Amino acid sequence: MTSAASRVLAGVGRPVVGAWREARGLAGLFLDTFVAVARGRVRGREVVHQMYLVGNKSVPFVAITLAVLGLISVFQVATQIKQVIPDFTMLGAAFMQMMVREFAPTITGLMVATRVGSGIAAEIGSMVVTEQVDALRMSNADPVEYLLVPRTIAAAVMMLMLTIVGIICATIAGMLIARSGFDVSFKTFLNFQLLDAGDLALGGTKALAYGLAIPVIAGRAGLTARGGSAGVGRATTQAVVATSFAVIVLDFVISGVSYVVFGQ
Amino acid sequence: MSAVSGFFASIGQAVLNLLRTFGGACLLLGRVIRSLFPPRFDVHETWRQLYHVGVRSAPIVAVTALFVGAIMVLQSAYFVKRTGATSLLGYGVGFTVFAEVGPILIGLMFSGRVGANNTAELGTMVVTEQVDALRALAIDPLRYLIVPRFIAMMLMLTLLMVLGDLFAIAGAALTSDALLGVDWRVLVANLIESKLLDELVMGVVKATTFGVAISCISCYFGLSVTGGALGVGRATNNSVVANATAIFMLDFVVGWIYSL
Repeated sequence: MTSAASRVLAGVGRPVVGAWREARGLAGLFLDTFVAVARGRVRGREVVHQMYLVGNKSVPFVAITLAVLGLISVFQVATQIKQVIPDFTMLGAAFMQMMVREFAPTITGLMVATRVGSGIAAEIGSMVVTEQVDALRMSNADPVEYLLVPRTIAAAVMMLMLTIVGIICATIAGMLIARSGFDVSFKTFLNFQLLDAGDLALGGTKALAYGLAIPVIAGRAGLTARGGSAGVGRATTQAVVATSFAVIVLDFVISGVSYVVFGQ
Repeated sequence: MSAVSGFFASIGQAVLNLLRTFGGACLLLGRVIRSLFPPRFDVHETWRQLYHVGVRSAPIVAVTALFVGAIMVLQSAYFVKRTGATSLLGYGVGFTVFAEVGPILIGLMFSGRVGANNTAELGTMVVTEQVDALRALAIDPLRYLIVPRFIAMMLMLTLLMVLGDLFAIAGAALTSDALLGVDWRVLVANLIESKLLDELVMGVVKATTFGVAISCISCYFGLSVTGGALGVGRATNNSVVANATAIFMLDFVVGWIYSL
């Protein structure tokens, strides 16, 4: 085999092998986490503490970004509608539906991936490079059980809550700009008639899926950190990219399955 | 009483932190712009950064964009099916991807990959005293470290956005063909008919402003790291949060200016 051909093959094969190894490692960590939860190895106090850190501490960030998202979407869509037919009666209803189905869970998920995912990777990564995780193992405390289980439960619950907060903030912001910029009364805007149980189920499923995926992926990035402060930085970066990407892929998969299977 | 004052104290603290970050990033931007006229920066390092920031981010941006196009087709399909207007599919996808969703999601991915990496790298250099070593060698960290990153991020996010738009159309076409049964030629023809050049240009302008913001904010957080490995992790975390907030704010500002 010529060296050029083998170089091409190596260039294709290396990422594939790397991705396969990464996927296997992640699947293993997911399994470990779920087994620990199923066995009831959950420390309630730590879960509540993590819920505070994941949930309450993210509220300002999620509220601000989702409010701006609400402003942007209503503004863009209303500007488009104005050019075709100046009829804003369904603006609020369509906005609500898009928010609940798609944008509120996904953008909240990306924000949580950014804030909580990088935080988890930085925290666990620092513990790994300062050998605190080895100390845990030495005292017969399983790092998955001790670190990952509380974070996963907290993130899953809090993703749902934060999505609801996000929908409320986006709706209030959208309502205000619809009234001040396009003379749509609050009553006309607050229109739930397009929203049905399927939309709520789809949005809820997405939020829950992101909440389960983010801490495990970020935790793996943290647990595999090597080599001082440079390693912690690398783990944090990797966690942000991997969790954000996971949110986008999960969004596609859940939307696709729901469209093909349920026609939603 | 103490609960109330604690509440106000926390709001005040948050506002102060926000203003400090905003001020720090703006001052850094001012210094960067001043060293561009006349150009005083390390050209070799700039090429290296262009490669690291741009070429190395191309795969993740391309894959993200494929999924973004696919997601927007699925979401538009739901509305199209209810109203029966298949001809609007291309317009719906093109408008949302070019003007809004594309720049935001690609900007967020870029902030995660490049912005976070940048803060971590500069932060590590600060805590291991490499930046002080540069100063001791009479090399200005601004010209050697910051300006090349600024140029690379601004230029490369703009170019990556164009690449992303292309891949988003590809993702949309593939999904509509495979999942919805709408021929991809119909979607593309419809997209071309919709004349979305304004939206496309607006999206690319948004990407340029995101590049400026991400470079200034991530460099600011990287240079102000204190306290070892823990400090680097914390700075990286703060940097991505600030970048995400800046992306949404700028997205609204640019969209608003365009509508005037």
